[in-house]
Amino acid sequence: MPPSQGSAQKLLDVLQQAGRVLTGRQLAGRGVTVFPDDIFLVSYPRSGNTWARFLLGNLINQNDPVTFSNIESRIPEIYFNRDRVLQQLPRPRMLKSHECFQPHYPRVIYIVRDPRDVVVSFYHHNVKARNIPDDYPMASFVPRFIAAEFDRRFGSWRDNVMSWAAVREGNPGFLMLRYEDLKRDTASALANVVAFLNRCSFRKIDSNLEALQRTIELSSPEKMRALEKEEAGRWVLTKGTRSDKPFVRSATSGGWKSQLAPESVEAIESAWGGLMLSLGYELVSRRTAVSVTGSHRGLPS
Amino acid sequence: MSRSGRYLKTVAATALGRAPAGRGLTIFPDDIFLVSYFRSGSTWSRFLFGNFIQQDEPVTFTNMERVVPVIYNLPDRVLRGLRRVLKSHECFDPRYPHVIYIVRDPRDVAVSFYYFNLKVGVIPEGYSMDEFVARFIAARVIGYADRVGCWQDHVLSWVRLREGKPGFRLVRYEDLLADPAKQLTNLAPLLGVEPTPARVERAVQLSSASHMQSLEKKQSKQWVATKDTRQDIPFVREAKSGGWRKKLSPAAVRTIEQAWGTTMKEMGYDLVMDANADHELVKG
Repeated sequence: MPPSQGSAQKLLDVLQQAGRVLTGRQLAGRGVTVFPDDIFLVSYPRSGNTWARFLLGNLINQNDPVTFSNIESRIPEIYFNRDRVLQQLPRPRMLKSHECFQPHYPRVIYIVRDPRDVVVSFYHHNVKARNIPDDYPMASFVPRFIAAEFDRRFGSWRDNVMSWAAVREGNPGFLMLRYEDLKRDTASALANVVAFLNRCSFRKIDSNLEALQRTIELSSPEKMRALEKEEAGRWVLTKGTRSDKPFVRSATSGGWKSQLAPESVEAIESAWGGLMLSLGYELVSRRTAVSVTGSHRGLPS
Repeated sequence: MSRSGRYLKTVAATALGRAPAGRGLTIFPDDIFLVSYFRSGSTWSRFLFGNFIQQDEPVTFTNMERVVPVIYNLPDRVLRGLRRVLKSHECFDPRYPHVIYIVRDPRDVAVSFYYFNLKVGVIPEGYSMDEFVARFIAARVIGYADRVGCWQDHVLSWVRLREGKPGFRLVRYEDLLADPAKQLTNLAPLLGVEPTPARVERAVQLSSASHMQSLEKKQSKQWVATKDTRQDIPFVREAKSGGWRKKLSPAAVRTIEQAWGTTMKEMGYDLVMDANADHELVKG
């Protein structure tokens, strides 16, 4: 881009930001106003957060199913919504965030997912967002993912997960949820979440078996894919991205086994093996499995 | 300033690119951050490190914002053009590439923070220290400070994530106070400075508490952090460690130790609670 165009763009950004401040339309983001009864649904990107938003949204409000058109007024995410609008939501609010440890978030449900699956999902997500071309080699993407090149604010997978786990684990206002457990036995994982929400004196949730089953059906990958087809052009997270690539992808765990080369798996496991083990993710590359043995008790560095 | 006045000021500052950088700071791979909780010796270390790095002109309260700038004052646009040893009070930020983290005994931090908040008018004269300690522990003192968490959250977020990693140094304020020359020499490679004895000595001399106190007397009306605060309470206070023994009630000490004892011990701060327990044991 020629420099004149670059500075024109910069000027435009500055004016747009000033306009937002002037009209009270700043996006909330990291500066989101936090209330003491807020619950934050936090995760690294591509770790099942949108699915969790559907599940919880459908469980909290059982008469009006979640869609991509109403999700931002149910369990909104902080990056594309205005702080002023978020402040008007009924309390207690539940908000989605990808931040590393934020000491002022009062209650947090943190979703963690096997980083080998996260990297695959993140790869496809970046193709969809036009950050990388269709034929970009996965083997080149993985080291960039490990180095947290794509969204530095959120840190690496390790920094994000560990920042929360190291400071908040064991705290009554903190619940760590593995994506894989949510997938394997959704009903009992949801029951855990409901128990947590009750301890946080969140609004009353009907969590009998029937309600849980209905919630799970309304939030199934098939249901979400059908909704995405209808609504992707309007939803803030998908509009402007490639419509030939889905946002709701495989919605499974273990897909990395067929998508990642052994070198890529080894790169991830040697970077984060200790932390992965402590979260219950088995290591497969022989070298890393040996080298981290004995260091997997508690949170490694 | 009225609320709408502040609001218009923010709008104008944003439009003119003058809003303080803060968390929106652009970060470069060779940046060095001087991170600490509030009242943990970060202003002193800005003098110390600034005088160590910069040789031509001694650090004062009037040039400090350009020698070792704080991220909350100047706009990003200006900070981009300065030497990048930056002071920050942020909790863990994954983007900071090099960090010197200063930790201080939270019992001393509590006392220092109490007087600071008297100075800036957050609490009135005569405010109960015990009450302040309770707010300090719960991180309910004042918005901008509460946002970075309580002392323990702050310390753990950095230490757990970065200890042992290249580019991270943990420095105890008490060690810096006891032997600043030694600490400067240790940190010299990270700061990119040749630690000759003369250079170290000069930095220590030009950053002494008495020197800073006399500078503050002359310049406190010009420095952004002190100009609109009570002039009868100094910003550079005792610059000592252990002052809490005289200023905190036994109850306040106990509250702090009960809240953060494990982390305090990990940082090498002995607990009164433990000493008392030992005493009981010996007596029994």
